[in-house]
Amino acid sequence: MPINIVAFGQLAEITGSDFEIEAADTEELMQLLREKFTALKEMKYAIAVNKKIVTKNTSLHNADMVALMPPFSGG
Amino acid sequence: MQTDNLDTRYSRQLPLPGFGISGQEKLGKARVLVIGAGGLGCPVIQYLSAAGVGTIGIADGDMVELSNLHRQVLYTSDDIGKLKANVAAQKINTVDPNIHVKVFTGYVTNKNALSLIGNYDIIVDCTDNFIARYLINDACSLLEKPLVFGAVFQYEGQVAVFNAGTTTAPKISYRDLFPEPPSAFSAPDCNTAGVLGVLPGLIGLMQATEVIKIIAGLGEVLDGKLLSYDIRTHQSMIMEIQSNEEAVVHIPKDRETYEKLDYAWLCNADSGNAVDKVSLHKMLEDGTTIAIDVREPGEMPEADFPHQKIPMSLIDSIPDMHGYKNIVVFCQSGVRSAKALVILSEKYGSSKKVFHLAGGLTGYNLQNNE
Repeated sequence: MPINIVAFGQLAEITGSDFEIEAADTEELMQLLREKFTALKEMKYAIAVNKKIVTKNTSLHNADMVALMPPFSGG
Repeated sequence: MQTDNLDTRYSRQLPLPGFGISGQEKLGKARVLVIGAGGLGCPVIQYLSAAGVGTIGIADGDMVELSNLHRQVLYTSDDIGKLKANVAAQKINTVDPNIHVKVFTGYVTNKNALSLIGNYDIIVDCTDNFIARYLINDACSLLEKPLVFGAVFQYEGQVAVFNAGTTTAPKISYRDLFPEPPSAFSAPDCNTAGVLGVLPGLIGLMQATEVIKIIAGLGEVLDGKLLSYDIRTHQSMIMEIQSNEEAVVHIPKDRETYEKLDYAWLCNADSGNAVDKVSLHKMLEDGTTIAIDVREPGEMPEADFPHQKIPMSLIDSIPDMHGYKNIVVFCQSGVRSAKALVILSEKYGSSKKVFHLAGGLTGYNLQNNE
């Protein structure tokens, strides 16, 4: 079940800006990503599934898009 | 406000469907506070005043620097060293002397935010650091004031609107998106991350657009939504933010709790070995502690306590600092100093204790104003 990941800001420097990964839900996805990209552990970011920010574990389906959005402070 | 030439001044926006005279009147009656008159603030201030927003508050304690001019297009070389808020106020009144401009040349802190924000209908966050962003968000949540947020990082920008009440959905705040500030290690450092001048220009204009939409009741406001925009590809994405249980825990529940919170600490505490203003001054008293400014040459403001300057780019060749037991490194917002802390702790091992100033000089000046 490939999930499309889109990473923004400084997260894209760690993971690349978009790629595919297989996961059944957001918790599994985050665990896989943290294993693959250890620098992610220190980062704070919001997770959006199909353009909706989620705060609880959310099941994922084929071709879902998950966005990883870090906070920006520049102005 | 003069009424004789208003039809002419606004003749290009009055015919707009859904705007018209009533939209113009709403703008004229509106009071908008712009916090931060930098890269984001300049376009917001310029376009809102030109559009006819009747009262504009400008809050910024910074002075114009040479390195600002590539993106803060309200200012010229002649303005270097002058307070941004004063210069901005003067410039918008040359375009339209009828706009009421209120200037606040201090830094917005959690001690003055509630009384300042209370005087306005809409708040526009054009600041450049997490301390200000969290304390502005919390003040707007407490007072239920519409907040138009904008922020940039390298080639990307974010715009969001909170508390605007344009939908029936529960009110969303920045803390629903990011309940707590990031650690100093993972936060990008504005002064070294770089920014192309057009980006804050675009994002600031999007913020100004949202302000006008909220006031005039136009279109669909980004209420409870986050717009992300990448200037490299012009790709954008609008994400819907939902209530987050964690947000409720972190937003101070009343005025008193809010004013007691240490926002500088909150944004830096988890980096370890952080000191605040009071402990810094205490440490500097007995001569065994040296403070080091790790910012690059020319960065303002100057620290008002004794210090040496060793920019981050030269931190590896720092001398031995004989005679000092403690080193306190500091920068603008505490991001670079957190990194310097790691490098210097490794270099000096157990021979010296290394600390950094929580929230940098931004946080320090915030405590200055108390």
